[in-house]
Amino acid sequence: MAKKVLNVEDDADIRTFVSTIVEEIGHIPILAKDGEEGMQKVRGERPDLIILDILMPKESGIKMYHQLKSDPSLRDIPVVMLSGVSKRTFLRSQVALTEFGDETVPEPEAYLEKPVEPEDLSEMLNKILS
Amino acid sequence: MLTLSLSSDGYEVLTAPGGEEGIETFKGESPSIVLTDIKMPGTDGIEVLKRIKDLNPDAEVIMITGHGDMDLAVEALKLDASDFLNKPIKDDALSVALKRAEQRIAIKNKLKSYTDDLENMVQIATEEVKRRSEFQNKLITTSNDAIIATDEKGTVVIYNQGAEKIFGYARSEIIRKVNIEYLYPQELVSQFAAGLEKGGQVDLSEWREVSIVPRDGETVPARFSGSILYGEDEVVGSVGFFQDLREIKRLQEELIRSERLAATGQTVASLAHYIKNILNGLKGGTYVLNVALDRNNTDKIKDGWAMIERNVERISGLVLDLLAYSKERKPEPENCFPNEIVEEVCALMDGRAREHDIRIVRKSGPWIGEAFMDPRAIHRSLLNLVSNAIDACIFDSTAKKRWLVTVKTAMEKDHMIRFEVADNGIGMDNKTKENLFSSPFSTKGERGTGLGLLVTQKIVKENGGVVTVESKLGKGTSFTILLPYREAQKKATIGG
Repeated sequence: MAKKVLNVEDDADIRTFVSTIVEEIGHIPILAKDGEEGMQKVRGERPDLIILDILMPKESGIKMYHQLKSDPSLRDIPVVMLSGVSKRTFLRSQVALTEFGDETVPEPEAYLEKPVEPEDLSEMLNKILS
Repeated sequence: MLTLSLSSDGYEVLTAPGGEEGIETFKGESPSIVLTDIKMPGTDGIEVLKRIKDLNPDAEVIMITGHGDMDLAVEALKLDASDFLNKPIKDDALSVALKRAEQRIAIKNKLKSYTDDLENMVQIATEEVKRRSEFQNKLITTSNDAIIATDEKGTVVIYNQGAEKIFGYARSEIIRKVNIEYLYPQELVSQFAAGLEKGGQVDLSEWREVSIVPRDGETVPARFSGSILYGEDEVVGSVGFFQDLREIKRLQEELIRSERLAATGQTVASLAHYIKNILNGLKGGTYVLNVALDRNNTDKIKDGWAMIERNVERISGLVLDLLAYSKERKPEPENCFPNEIVEEVCALMDGRAREHDIRIVRKSGPWIGEAFMDPRAIHRSLLNLVSNAIDACIFDSTAKKRWLVTVKTAMEKDHMIRFEVADNGIGMDNKTKENLFSSPFSTKGERGTGLGLLVTQKIVKENGGVVTVESKLGKGTSFTILLPYREAQKKATIGG
């Protein structure tokens, strides 16, 4: 069954690229160009997977990730980070933002560093969505 | 008898029976005092006196006179005899005469030694004066700086090698022939004229930059300091020092160039990053295009191709910026319409602006028509500024602002045109503002190369203009470029 994959990414070219890959593996791409629009689409469309960029204007990926994981109704949606920022840096930022007290922020499902090969991304998506 | 008297007084005595013998003895022994009879057979006293004085003008000759020899005595005195004694010679008279003779000898000796000393000291002093004068001359002639001194009327009296190098005229053309009003740059002439006239009230001593128009060749930038010269109470002349700044300016420019080169080195890392992103965009584009061709999906073909085109455009922009940044470019002015160039730039950026809900507003000054300026310089500088202005709005996270980028042109006095690019986006803090033009500095992460503003500033400077910025964090930013322009050149018409 075709699943909904939300890509939150400010670079239009990458949005085109990701949505092409999503379509190639038989799923439905949903696009958002920043964190604000991203959260709207999450609540509105209820995607099965979120591909999230980090460096974005308006609301950065860091903030959006934190919002997703602090909301019990959204926390379980698998998130794949796709960013130029290194994984280590991202995780450090989450620790800094934590409101969970003793609980640590759950790590994303996968962390892919840009640039990503089409095969690597489609393989990862398939793994998570099946 | 006389001999006895003299010996007992401690003198060494030599005797001679007559004039000739006396002279011979004198030649041989060189006594300091001579006693001679005035009246003698053969060579008489007067003759002895003359001949002895010939041999030694300083010898003290005392004439011994007899009764009736008064005329002879007077003649002897005229011939520089020291004294005379009348016969019969009394002991005390003899003593006195001898004492006086000795005193005279002593005085003569002292005088001689004083004179020798004096001559020696004068020679030393003269050499010292010569040495100092030569030293000062050397200072003036070999000084690299131009040293020009004038008399109270302003006629040049000192014009050294340094001046020849800066002003181009040979010394022979200038010294005592030319007044500084024909030589000095205009701005100084009036001040010097006032100084020479009024003295006291004109201070020229502070170093300042002037432009010298030499005999041939290009204007020379120089540093100038001067003084009015006084002797007693009146003005006696003036002096001016000019330092050739060409070398210093050349070194400054070299320094800037090498700093820029070094900065380009720093930029290499961020450039590599930027280029990597572009390459990924190209790779992504080719992937999408290939999938689209496989599926025969025309829309997707368009998407893929657009990705490739956009990234090719980004590479092109990057290369242009790099070239503009690293090379010295002489402005190439031509007849153009600044307002049209502004419209071109805005049209290029309209698409991207609209994607992000930003409006670009043009406010073209009505009096700006055709002008003689470098259109590519204007285009490139404005393009960078408008692109930055759009980014500033994109990066502003304030909710629901109506984002505006305004591009304005206006005439300014002194033949300048003002280009203003203002946005109401994120604005800058003081730290960002300070570092703006100093080195590749980008707040745009992977997207910025940091070169845009540097290139703009360089281009504007090369065209004789200036860039300034105003910004308030959270409120917006405004960049202003002032560029000089010339009247549109009339095309020559051939024939009549």
